[in-house]
Amino acid sequence: MRTGAQALVDSLVKAGTEVLFGYPGGQALDIFNCLPEAPMKFVLGRHEQGCAHMADGYARATGKPGVCLVTSGPGATNVVTGLATANIDGVPMVVITGQVPLSLIGTDAFQEADTSGITRAITKHNFLVHSADEIPEIVAQAFYIATHGKPGPVVIDVPKNCQQALTAAEYPERVSLRAYHPEHAANPNDLSRFAKILNSAKRPVLYAGGGVITSGAAADLAKLAEKAEIPVATTFMGLGSFDEHSPLALGMAGMHGSAAANWAIHEADCIVALGVRFSDRVTGNIKLYAPEAKIVHVDCDPSSLNKNVKVELGICADIKDVLTTVASRIKQNRHPEWVEKIHGWQREHPLSYKQMHEGVIMPQAVIEAIDKATNGEALLVTDVGQHQMWTAQFFRHNTPRHFLSSGGMGTMGFGIPAAIGAGLAKPDAKVVCVVGDGGAQMTFEEVVCAVEHKVPVTFVIINNNCLGMVRQWQQLFYRERYAGSILSVRGRLEMEHLEQDLEYDYLPDFTLLAKAHGAEAYRVIDPAKLDDTIRTAVESGKTSVVEVIVEPRANVYPMIPGGKPVTEMIFE
Amino acid sequence: MKQETYRFNCFVENRPGVLARIVGLISGRGYNIQALNVGPTEDGTVSKMKIDVLCSDESVVEQIKHQLSNQVNVIEVTSRKR
Repeated sequence: MRTGAQALVDSLVKAGTEVLFGYPGGQALDIFNCLPEAPMKFVLGRHEQGCAHMADGYARATGKPGVCLVTSGPGATNVVTGLATANIDGVPMVVITGQVPLSLIGTDAFQEADTSGITRAITKHNFLVHSADEIPEIVAQAFYIATHGKPGPVVIDVPKNCQQALTAAEYPERVSLRAYHPEHAANPNDLSRFAKILNSAKRPVLYAGGGVITSGAAADLAKLAEKAEIPVATTFMGLGSFDEHSPLALGMAGMHGSAAANWAIHEADCIVALGVRFSDRVTGNIKLYAPEAKIVHVDCDPSSLNKNVKVELGICADIKDVLTTVASRIKQNRHPEWVEKIHGWQREHPLSYKQMHEGVIMPQAVIEAIDKATNGEALLVTDVGQHQMWTAQFFRHNTPRHFLSSGGMGTMGFGIPAAIGAGLAKPDAKVVCVVGDGGAQMTFEEVVCAVEHKVPVTFVIINNNCLGMVRQWQQLFYRERYAGSILSVRGRLEMEHLEQDLEYDYLPDFTLLAKAHGAEAYRVIDPAKLDDTIRTAVESGKTSVVEVIVEPRANVYPMIPGGKPVTEMIFE
Repeated sequence: MKQETYRFNCFVENRPGVLARIVGLISGRGYNIQALNVGPTEDGTVSKMKIDVLCSDESVVEQIKHQLSNQVNVIEVTSRKR
């Protein structure tokens, strides 16, 4: 016999947990009490949201579930953002929350929250434990659910009395779920149709999303593209699934995607969409999306087929399985006119930017500097906003699981902790976290964890002293009324009634903040010093923060305004 | 837009929280439940839910069905026009 808490920790180990991210509290203490003897690494975050994003970053970097342990009430509510972030991007996670004893549930007890109620809509599944005997089985099921079908986060809410009760239950050898069978096999007729449609296409485009990376199908995608000479566009989440050094690479499609990718989709007569959701950030005006194309959509989630875009052929199956099976039926092919037309668009509208003021660093140049300093090998983690889009645009992505970013939820504060999780998962990778000055202030406290665990992440803070993406939208669509988006006191609107007599333009001083957290600190203002400083930081092998003061009025282009068709793309 | 009532018959595992999950899934996507009936089946571990929802077209029906089928505790879903 062992306690429920011991059974829980043993089960986590059995399920393959190597790193546990967490933050303690009253209703989780029995579980924490079992950790000193457990054969896994524990990482103490500084805020539960940080713990959740660390586990998320760990999972995105490896494909293995990120595991996180927090207490009841505020501990559980603080992981909510992390769960929603992982859920919409299909990231496998198992999150354990402490809960008040069963007898106190519903009494508004101290630190009681209805965790299963709160997390139901933002998790793939959740469990409320009712007895210590259930714990090993539930843990096994949680890991199974998190990693099978479209991955996602699973919460296990464990009341304190179940942690303390004794149980003889063992970890099951096999997981059996009566109602959940997420593995779908493709219908052979559909595969034949797939091949027929693609073989007869004159202007085909392969359109790869995060599902290609999840399925481990990047190599199969490359083979298919080369065999039949088909250009490849990726979604934001699909960056890294296809090497952008290839002449067939169109880069990212969507609101801030390349002109070539968006126009190719617009003019294509066949789109093979692999592991994508057709999100509104990609389709723009859905009625005018890909008007000439027959769309073949392959996804492991049946609910994503025909959800946003009506498709010619929807195949619910594992992408790698489909591509392997269909490979021999796709004929060797060439599309010289189509490819030349696309190359013409690329020459006409390459991703580019203009220097706005002499001696002021353009933010896009920072991303190019990271590409150079790491020889294109950086494992990039971003926060959310303009810098996120520039990182998507100006780095030549080439490796799956080397571009980690909150795509669906757009969670500011994700970058710093997720980079730490990725760094712990991949100690030999050159992890570079690109983050804005806004997002950096949301979760900077986690830098301490990187320093403590000697995770050599380079945090590059693109400091434009404002919430750049919000500011850009206000400039373009709200008549330049910058309400709430400027971070320096000097530029603020009168609505805040601030005296604008502060000595400092830039608060906080991120180099002082970095030093206070024990990290190496650099600040770059001079464009001539940008490359060297980033190289020094990356090669130092230490946790470092590089604050780069950049042009504050730079915008992300090209841009297709929300809800508009490709034809209304803005270039500057 | 003309809407019609569709009946979704769901066989689900009889566990705490399953009803809340199903109802939340439908309401969370902006659909309005017209009628709801939940009861046991001969197999005590399985419950049957009959859910009537106003849908604008067949693709919405398919979408709801897929979303329901994706749920870990949902054994089978069928639908028909009322």
